[in-house]
Amino acid sequence: MDMVVAEQLVKEFPTPKGGLKRAVDGLSFRVGKGQIYGLLGPNGAGKTTTLRLLSGLMAPTSGSAYLAGYNVASEPHQVKRILGFLTANTGLYQRLSARELLIYFGQLHLMSAERAKQRADELIHWLGISEFANLRCGALSTGQKQRVNIARALVADPPILIMDEPTLGLDVLSNRVILEYIRRERDAGKTIILSTHYLDEAEDMCDTIGLLHDGRLIAEGDIQHLRETSGEERLSSIFLKLIHAREQVEALVS
Amino acid sequence: MSLRHRIRTIYRKELIDILRDRRTLTAMILVPIVLYPLLLLGSIQAVSYQTEKFTEEEVVIGVINDAQGQSLDRLIRADAAALRREKEQQDATAENTELPPPLEKYAIKSLGSIHDLEARVRDRSIHIGVAFERDVVLDSPEVTNHITVHGDKEDIRSHHARRVVEEIIRRTADRARGERKAQAGLPATFDQPFSISFVDLSAPESILGQVLPLILILMTMTGAIYPAIDLTAGERERGTLESLMVCPVPVIDLIVGKFLVVTTVAIMGAALNLGSVAATVYFGGFDQVIAQTGGKMPIGTMVLILLCLIPFAVLVSAVMIAVCSYARTFKEAQNYVMPVFLAVLIPGGIAALPATRLEGMMLAMPVANMVLLARDLLLGAAVSPVNVIMVLLSTTLYAAAAVAIAANIFGRESVVFADAGSLKGTFERRLIRPTKLPSVSMSLFVVAMMFPAWFFVQASLSDGGRNAAADVLHGTARLMPVMFVALPVFILWYWKVDVRNALALRMPSGRHLLAGVILGVAAWVPAHEWNVLQARWLGVPEAVVKSAEQMAEAIRALPIGTVIVLIALMPAVCEELLFRGFLLSGLKASTRKWPAILASAAIFGVFHFFVFKFPVTVGLGVVLGYLCWQSGSILPGLVMHLLHNSISALSVVYPEWPTRIGVPVPQPDEAAASGLFVHLPLHVIAIGSAMCVIGWLLATRTVDGPTVPRGVIRAATVRERAF
Repeated sequence: MDMVVAEQLVKEFPTPKGGLKRAVDGLSFRVGKGQIYGLLGPNGAGKTTTLRLLSGLMAPTSGSAYLAGYNVASEPHQVKRILGFLTANTGLYQRLSARELLIYFGQLHLMSAERAKQRADELIHWLGISEFANLRCGALSTGQKQRVNIARALVADPPILIMDEPTLGLDVLSNRVILEYIRRERDAGKTIILSTHYLDEAEDMCDTIGLLHDGRLIAEGDIQHLRETSGEERLSSIFLKLIHAREQVEALVS
Repeated sequence: MSLRHRIRTIYRKELIDILRDRRTLTAMILVPIVLYPLLLLGSIQAVSYQTEKFTEEEVVIGVINDAQGQSLDRLIRADAAALRREKEQQDATAENTELPPPLEKYAIKSLGSIHDLEARVRDRSIHIGVAFERDVVLDSPEVTNHITVHGDKEDIRSHHARRVVEEIIRRTADRARGERKAQAGLPATFDQPFSISFVDLSAPESILGQVLPLILILMTMTGAIYPAIDLTAGERERGTLESLMVCPVPVIDLIVGKFLVVTTVAIMGAALNLGSVAATVYFGGFDQVIAQTGGKMPIGTMVLILLCLIPFAVLVSAVMIAVCSYARTFKEAQNYVMPVFLAVLIPGGIAALPATRLEGMMLAMPVANMVLLARDLLLGAAVSPVNVIMVLLSTTLYAAAAVAIAANIFGRESVVFADAGSLKGTFERRLIRPTKLPSVSMSLFVVAMMFPAWFFVQASLSDGGRNAAADVLHGTARLMPVMFVALPVFILWYWKVDVRNALALRMPSGRHLLAGVILGVAAWVPAHEWNVLQARWLGVPEAVVKSAEQMAEAIRALPIGTVIVLIALMPAVCEELLFRGFLLSGLKASTRKWPAILASAAIFGVFHFFVFKFPVTVGLGVVLGYLCWQSGSILPGLVMHLLHNSISALSVVYPEWPTRIGVPVPQPDEAAASGLFVHLPLHVIAIGSAMCVIGWLLATRTVDGPTVPRGVIRAATVRERAF
C-alpha cells in the first residue's frame, strides 16, 4: 500500500496585486512503505508548499492528499497522529529543556504523562541527546537543536516522516549524524519524504527522487532511472539538463 | 486524552514557559514591588518637602511706593503681634484651635508704578504685588479699604504668597470689625445672621475608590500584554508554531490553554500590584496621608477589588490573545496592542468619572461596566444582584467571542506562514471558500457585537420608560428583521456559507412539527409555575411588575392581528433564525450537542435583558435548541415559539379565556406583585406537564442526514488504526 499519495495537488496564493500565483501546479506522486522519497528543486520550486500540503498545515486549492489512507483535508486529526514533521528552521521553546519539550509534545500526541516521560528517555538515549537533555533549548548549538527537533518529530513514533531540508545549515558532522538517524528510521520501516537542495545527499539517501520545477514534477524515479533517461551521470547535470530542456520546449510552444 | 487533560497539559507548559522568562518576572513582580513604594512614597515626600520649603522661603511682595510699603509692613507686623498674643492666651486657657504661624520671612520692594509691579510679577522676580487705593484707615466705620493683589495663579509661589497675604488682611479685617462693633455697642453676632458648617459624609475609601479601579485595570492590562504577545505572535516568530500545528490537538484547545495562562498571569500581576499598594499604604506611612483625607483601606475591600478584577482579566486576556493572534511578529503585535489599550482605557475613563452610574447602557458597555461595578462595591453603594449578573454575563459573552476569534485566526495558514499571502486576504471575498456551516468564531463574534447594539437599541426605544410601550413594540418589530436576520444573512452570504444549511431552513418531519405544536401549546404551564416559584422565593422586582402592566395596557389597546404579529410572529421568526439558526449552527461546527444547545440558550436568555425572566427564557431556549438539533430544521421551534408567544399575548388580551379552563385570573386591582403569580390548578399542571413530556419524547428521534457534522473534538477520540 502506498503510504503517501498526492493527487493533482494545486495551491494558489493571492498576490498583492490581486492576482493568484500557483506555487504547486497539479502535482501527483506516490510513496511506498519503507521508502525515502526526495523532493528536489531550486528555491521557489514549491517544495516547502508541497510538504505543507501533505501535512495538512495548508489546505490545497484543489486536489487531495492521503497519508496511510487518511484524507488530509477531511481527516486532519488522524493524519496528525501518524505524522512526524520537521523543518530546518523549526524553533524550539527556548525556556524549556530538551527533555521537557519532548514530554510536552508526547502529551500533545495524546500520551499519558508516564508514557511521554518514558518515550522522551528512549529518544534521548537513542539520539544521543543525554549530554544536553536538561539544558534549556535556548542554550543549544544548531546541530544539537536539530537533533532535538528530530526527536520531537519522532516522539509519537509516527509511520510517516516529512522533513523539509533537515540538514540545512548544519556542519559536516551534524549533517552525517542527522542523515544516519533518517536512514535508521527508514530501516525501521518508516516512510520518509524529504526535500533538499543538496543533490549528493539526495543521491545517497533517496530511493526515489522527484524533480520539482515551477510547482510541477519534471522527472521522477530512482537515480539509475534518471541517469538513463537523461544520459547524464551526476544528479546536478541531470537537473540542469531537464530544466533547460523544459525551458526550450516552453520557448518553442509559445 | 480528554479535553480537560489536553488543556491542562498546554496550560502547564505555557505557564512554566512564561514564568521562566525574565521579562515576565520583571514586569510582574519587580515593577509593582519597586514601583509603588517608589512612586507613592517618593511623590508624597516630594510634595511635603516642597510645601515645607515654601513656608520657609521668603515671601517677596512688590508695592508701588515706600508709603504703601510701610502700610503693608505695619499690617503684617500688627497681625504677627496679634497672632502671638492669641497664642499666649490659648496656652493659658489650654484651648486648642489651630493658629497659623505669623509671617516672619518676607521682603517688601517698592517699584514705582503698577506697570512695573505687574512686569516683575510676570517675570517672577517678585511673588505678588499689592496696591492700596488709599492710606489704610481702620478705625472709621465709613471706610472700606480697597486692596488689589497682582499675582500669577499658575505660579505655585505666587499662589502661596497671595494666600498668606490675603489671610493676613482677612484676620486684620476681622479684628477691625470686632473693634468697630464694640465701639458702636453692637453684639458680636451683629453681622453674622448665619453660620454654616459642613459635615463630610463621603465614604472613607472614596478617593482611592475612584482612582484605584482605573490604576488596577491598567496594571492588569499591562500584565496581560506581554504573555499574550509571547504566546501567540512570539510562538510564530520563533518558528515553534508549525510543529505545534502538526500535533493532533484542536487549535481551540491550544488557544484556550494559552488564554488561561494569560488570564492567570494578568490576575497574578493584578494581585501583586494590589498587594504592593496595600503594603505601601500600611507600612510606608502612607496611611497617615490617607487619614488626613479621611480614608482607610480595609483588607476586605482589597479582596473585593481582586474579585472584580477576575472577570476583567478574563475579558482583557481574551481580547489580547485575539488581537495578538493576528500578528506574525512581536513588533506587529505590539502595534496592534496599543489601540486596544486605548480602546479599553476610554470606557474605563468614562466609568471613572464621578457622575457615571451603573445603569442603562453602561450595564452592557464592556470594561466600563466592570469599572463601575468595582467602584460601587468599593464605595459600599447598593449594588443589585441583577446588575452583577448582567455585568458578569455580558463580560462572559464578550470573552467567549474573543477566544473563539483567536482560535479561528491562530490556525489560519495566512497567519501561520508569512509567505502564504497577506492577512487582508482573510476578508477578501474572492479568496473565501464556500462552507456548509458558519464557524463558531463568526457566529459568536456577530452575536457578541449584536448584544450591546441590541441593548442600546432597546434602551433608546424605551428611553428609560418614557416612550409608550406600543411604540417600543413597533420599533422592536421593525428592527428585529434587520439586526437578527438581514445582518447574519449578509455575513453568511459574504463568507460564502450555505445560508439554507446555516439557518437550518428545511422541511422537518411531521413528527418533529407535531412536537413543536404540542410544546408550543403546553410550554406556558411549566414556565408559569416556575415564575410563581421564583416569585415566592426571590420576590418580584417592581420594575418587572410595572413593565408587565404597561405592556398589558399597550397590548389591549392594539388590534389583535397587530398583537400577534408584534409579539408572536416577528420574535418567533427573527429569534429562531438568529439563535437556533445562525448561532446554533456556528456552535454545532465545533462543539458537541449539549454544550452547543446550552450555550445558545444562555445567550438567548442574556438577550432578553430582564434577569427575572432569565431562567424561563433559558429553559425555553434549551427546548427550542433541542427541537432544532433533533429535527435539523428551525421550523418546529419556530412553530413552538409562535404558539407560546401567542398564548401569552392572548391571555393578556382576553383575560376571561383562562378562567374557562379553571385558571384563576388576577383582577386588575390586585395585579400587584402577589396577584400576578398564582399557582395553576392541579389538573392544568398535570395536563400541561404531560403534553410537554409527550412533545419532548416525540422530538427525541433524530433525522438521518448530513446536518450534524462530526465535531473536531470527537475526531480525536476515534479509534487508532493499525498499520
